Amino acid sequence: MKRRELCRLAGVSMAALSLPPLILAKDAEQGSPKVVWVMLRGALDPLHTLVPTFDPDLSKLRPTLYKAIKQDVLALSNGYALHPSLVNLHAWYQAKELLPVAAVSSGYPSRSHFDGQDFLEAGLGRIDHESGWLGRAVQAKNKRALAIARATPISLRSDATVNTWYPSRLQDASTATYESLLKLYEQDEQLSTLLQDGLDLQEQANSMQTTQRQGRFIDLVRSCASLMVGPQGNDCAMLELGGWDTHKGQANRLARSLKELDKGLAVLKEGLGGEWQNTVVVVGTEFGRTAKENGTGGTDHGTASALFFAGGAINGGRVLGQWPGLSESALFQKRDLRPTSNVYSWLAAVLGEHWQMSQLELAQVFPSASTLANSASLRLVSRSGLSSSKPMT
Amino acid sequence: MSMSVQGVIAANRFGLGAKSGEIAAASLNPRAWLKQQLQALDFNDGLASSGELEIALAEYQRDRKAAKKMAEEKNPSIQFGKSAQKMSIAVAKRAIDSNISLSWRLLDFFSNHFSVSSSGRRMVALAPTLEREAIAPNLDQRFEEMLLSVVRHPAMLTYLNNERSFGPNSRAGKRGRGLNENLAREILELHTLGVNAGYGQADVIELAKALSGWSVAMPIKEKATGFVFRDRGHEPGIRTLLGRRYKQKAGPLGVRQAEAMLRDLANHPATAEHLCFKLARHFVADEPSADLQAKLTDAWLQSQGNIRRVMEALIDADESWQTPAQKFKTPREFVISAARGIALPAFSGRKIWNALATLGQQPFQSGSPAGYSDLGSDWRGASALIGRVEWSTSIANQAKFLAQTTSEQAIMRQCLGDTVSERTAQSVLRAESREQALTLLLMSPEFLRR
Repeated sequence: MKRRELCRLAGVSMAALSLPPLILAKDAEQGSPKVVWVMLRGALDPLHTLVPTFDPDLSKLRPTLYKAIKQDVLALSNGYALHPSLVNLHAWYQAKELLPVAAVSSGYPSRSHFDGQDFLEAGLGRIDHESGWLGRAVQAKNKRALAIARATPISLRSDATVNTWYPSRLQDASTATYESLLKLYEQDEQLSTLLQDGLDLQEQANSMQTTQRQGRFIDLVRSCASLMVGPQGNDCAMLELGGWDTHKGQANRLARSLKELDKGLAVLKEGLGGEWQNTVVVVGTEFGRTAKENGTGGTDHGTASALFFAGGAINGGRVLGQWPGLSESALFQKRDLRPTSNVYSWLAAVLGEHWQMSQLELAQVFPSASTLANSASLRLVSRSGLSSSKPMT
Repeated sequence: MSMSVQGVIAANRFGLGAKSGEIAAASLNPRAWLKQQLQALDFNDGLASSGELEIALAEYQRDRKAAKKMAEEKNPSIQFGKSAQKMSIAVAKRAIDSNISLSWRLLDFFSNHFSVSSSGRRMVALAPTLEREAIAPNLDQRFEEMLLSVVRHPAMLTYLNNERSFGPNSRAGKRGRGLNENLAREILELHTLGVNAGYGQADVIELAKALSGWSVAMPIKEKATGFVFRDRGHEPGIRTLLGRRYKQKAGPLGVRQAEAMLRDLANHPATAEHLCFKLARHFVADEPSADLQAKLTDAWLQSQGNIRRVMEALIDADESWQTPAQKFKTPREFVISAARGIALPAFSGRKIWNALATLGQQPFQSGSPAGYSDLGSDWRGASALIGRVEWSTSIANQAKFLAQTTSEQAIMRQCLGDTVSERTAQSVLRAESREQALTLLLMSPEFLRR
């Protein structure tokens, strides 16, 4: 039942949505159109990020979580707002360089992080460890791709070669990992004391430690940007950021994590310089979280989440995606935000426009044909005269 | 297939960490599963022997004198470091791949018991040959055979400066060469009786005199390698060790004096107690019970120090199977067990070496003839723990894409059986990413201890 419902969702046609172009026309001489895929591992809570302030059920479902940000949210349009940490994204929205999409799902029918991530990365409507949607697009368009990772993530896998880069001297373990370990050691006095002491020592040894740790993503983004500019720059890159599995203490954790994301994306824009005008940034996550807050100030694994497109090439300044509502009957299985569109519909539309992909090519990248309906008319991306001179068929 | 607590203990406490399927296999009959692993180990991996290295070292020395500049340009000194690294990595890889990891653990134990360190070019080259040539073949023998092999080995003779120790009244000694007590002292204090076992300085000197002339051949000059007894450097006379008299033998037979002493030392009750305490401490707990020590010591004395018999007694003893696990893994145990558990193709030799160096247990770098500590408190530092978190994360980052065909649950079960606490299981299974799941598994209390 559940599975069938989601499978149906996976095929939601975008023809139903009447949309202005998603990509802006630009006169300036363009470099190669760039794509940056930022995958948020751990399931981002959509209601705390792209906040539907207009929905009367939000306060009821989330008395403490919503209260924590209600006064400070950054207004978008139609009653949507961004989390207060997302100041740069908010400025981009006003500059029409940010396009949030509400209530999307990959069609993944369950709630396991690992499988959900694999599913989203494969983009095939099933888990496949050998082939990812971005990798297939890279192969189809013969792009130069880069993964900021030690090994090629599924998203970028295909028969094409992908560069991987990861700094060897950066400290690897994330704050989220240390938090999980502290929790894991709660009943082991010896180990919990040691770990706490070790973390304290690190901070003492280097008062910059905390900020460095939090700034880790920023450092990766900075390097990523520098590897994308110039004549030998990569056309496409993938970054990953964890810390979204907010089962407890979500208000504080998301305030921190979203700030890290926001700052990181600002550093990306800065690093890309003029290339920002040719760039589409995609920010997505494996699934969403429960509509209702749980007993520990957090949320549990859910279904629909939010998707963000940003960049100078994006025809933004509007929130897309049909809002399903938060009433009990509107919720998926009476607990999760219900998906109203499929992630791949949007990815196909944006990639199709941005990278000038034919229907045939798009069918290879996103082989679920129904997701491709009417994608040519969407115009999500602001590419130059190229798109008008070579209309897609 | 069912997995018992004892199966987990067999694979993780006695062995070097469960590989795929091991816990299930061990669970059928954990004690028999372990006993069939007890055997001598051999190395037919084509890596250099101490004899070949001695020749290379001598040639290097000769060439350097003859054409200093050229030798420096080639810098073959670096080659000795590389060959040594290769040997240590080969041992670690064999241990990781082994289906009889109990014997590989025993090799590590005795290699550390007879610790030699890589200081100086000669020792850099020779250190890793000791365990291969003198320890591995004797793992199922009586301890005295191992002791004799070790003391005769060029690595030990060089490390503890006996190769140029000559009796003051020997022919060489009369020409001004002197006695060096280093090897004799460490044999008594570390290798056999143990400190405070009732021997005195006079015993040290008597053993040193008996060992004078135990030396290493000069490959170019003597056209030979390995142990050589230099009659002309041997202190003449009757020796008394621990109240027992050892006859003087003439000429080349002079070697028998120290041999007899070493055999007696190996079979001394204090040696039995010392070694059995160390074995119990290594396998079971930092402060092992008196009962367990007594069982091992009995087995030792009854079998004249037969290592296999002692290990069987250890396996048979109920005390060896106690829960919860008492031993905190050393860095070497941690890295090897992780490699066995995750079965990463990316676990290249270089990575293993770097891991051991980073986490504080580079092979043959303890810097002391006492070897690396076997006490959890010496490895359980706060920063050391952070180091393990960072290493686990980097390994997990490399592993996550390889591990996709096996679920985290399966890997956890394969490493830790069915005995994982609810807390650990949930942490791992609810981790926000595969890499975090693997990090949490490796850093779980159950995986850090054995």
